[in-house]
Amino acid sequence: MDADISDILASVSAPPIPKRALDLQALTRAWINERSSPELLPYPTELIERSTQGVKSQIEVIEEMTGAMDPTSNFKLVILQTELERVKFLLRSFLRARIAKIDKHPLHYHSVATSADLGDQPILSRLESQYLVSHQALLSSHYNASFLSLFPTQLQRLDDATGGDSMIDKPDEDTAVFCRVLRDGYVSRPPDDDIELKRGDVWVLRWTTIREKVRSGDVELI
Amino acid sequence: MYGEHGHKLVTDAKRIQGLDKLPPYATTTVRAATKEVRDLDRDANSLLAPYNSSSTQSSDGSQMRSSFNPAEDPGTACALLVDHISMRRNKRCLLAYHKTRTDKLEEMCWQGLDVSDLSQASTGASQSGAQNGPSSSLSAEEEQFVHQYSDLLAAYKGQWTDIDLTGSLEPPKDIFIDVRVLKDAGEIQTEYGSITLTKNSQFYVRQGDVERLIQQGYLQKLS
Repeated sequence: MDADISDILASVSAPPIPKRALDLQALTRAWINERSSPELLPYPTELIERSTQGVKSQIEVIEEMTGAMDPTSNFKLVILQTELERVKFLLRSFLRARIAKIDKHPLHYHSVATSADLGDQPILSRLESQYLVSHQALLSSHYNASFLSLFPTQLQRLDDATGGDSMIDKPDEDTAVFCRVLRDGYVSRPPDDDIELKRGDVWVLRWTTIREKVRSGDVELI
Repeated sequence: MYGEHGHKLVTDAKRIQGLDKLPPYATTTVRAATKEVRDLDRDANSLLAPYNSSSTQSSDGSQMRSSFNPAEDPGTACALLVDHISMRRNKRCLLAYHKTRTDKLEEMCWQGLDVSDLSQASTGASQSGAQNGPSSSLSAEEEQFVHQYSDLLAAYKGQWTDIDLTGSLEPPKDIFIDVRVLKDAGEIQTEYGSITLTKNSQFYVRQGDVERLIQQGYLQKLS
């Protein structure tokens, strides 16, 4: 109970954090989550839009300052540029991590993206799904041109699920992840007992157990 | 030997994973494996042929399946099973081989290597292996694939101009770095004026400005 009250007090009395700092925190968190989760997470459309917008305006500011040729602003400029490079790195690494996952299990994500939409949080961004579709088309036309067209027709499919193994590869959803609890809560672990998650706790759990909590932002991966 | 071509392709694929250059495309092996599949298919069809004809004669309109009953003739059933499994295996081997190669090619595209450079570089490395076959170590299909993929990549990258997706994936520490020029690269424009990069000279420049030149091997980063 004590923790609850101090939580509430903290949220009331703490000075408001600037929106841009929050965005940076969210971006860093999204980046870490994306890099450590075995599965593609929903695409944070608005966050990425705000961040790219921020990068754009920051570039303009820097250009203006270099244009002014004021020696006194040089130090400030270095700081601004360093910050810009870091945000750019975060975005780049985030997007590349996603592309790497898409490339690894293209057919799986294609079916996920087309069948289940998670309301306002689609798995893939518009650009990513374009990339996925054209990449897949390229690959299959390459396979066809190289050898597949000479195969008997019943063996020409790339998403064949008959005959023992499904050809659609899936990410390993049962793999273990390290996570930190941000908001108190419960998760159920079917074969074992439920776990009470306390803010600040660090757990090693199966991805399937904690997936929903990560998506809702109650838990972050580390 | 039965299934040998597939095995060869898979070991090749495994080997490719560890190489930094792409060895020549194994045209003959791929062709042989594909031919094996067709032979197996023909074999399976001929095994099934007598049953098929009897099933059409029995005029069981809706049922187009053959009247073959595995329990009656375990020998044929076994032969059929082996045929089918081998076909699937060959398909998997072929797919694995091609996928490994395309992965490698995609990686090269991401690193910003030029495609024409790339096929030349790999032929240089594989002079001994290639007889009087194609001059490039890529098959015609692969070259086409690389071109299309780099177009696709450029299109995707074009949407993120400010971020430069193919940039370094190392977290940046300093915005200015020391570089040494390994090859003459001419003059480059930076925010602080233009720099002429002549061989063996050393500069203190902004990392973002010379990122591309480092990747292309014109500059070396000094730590």
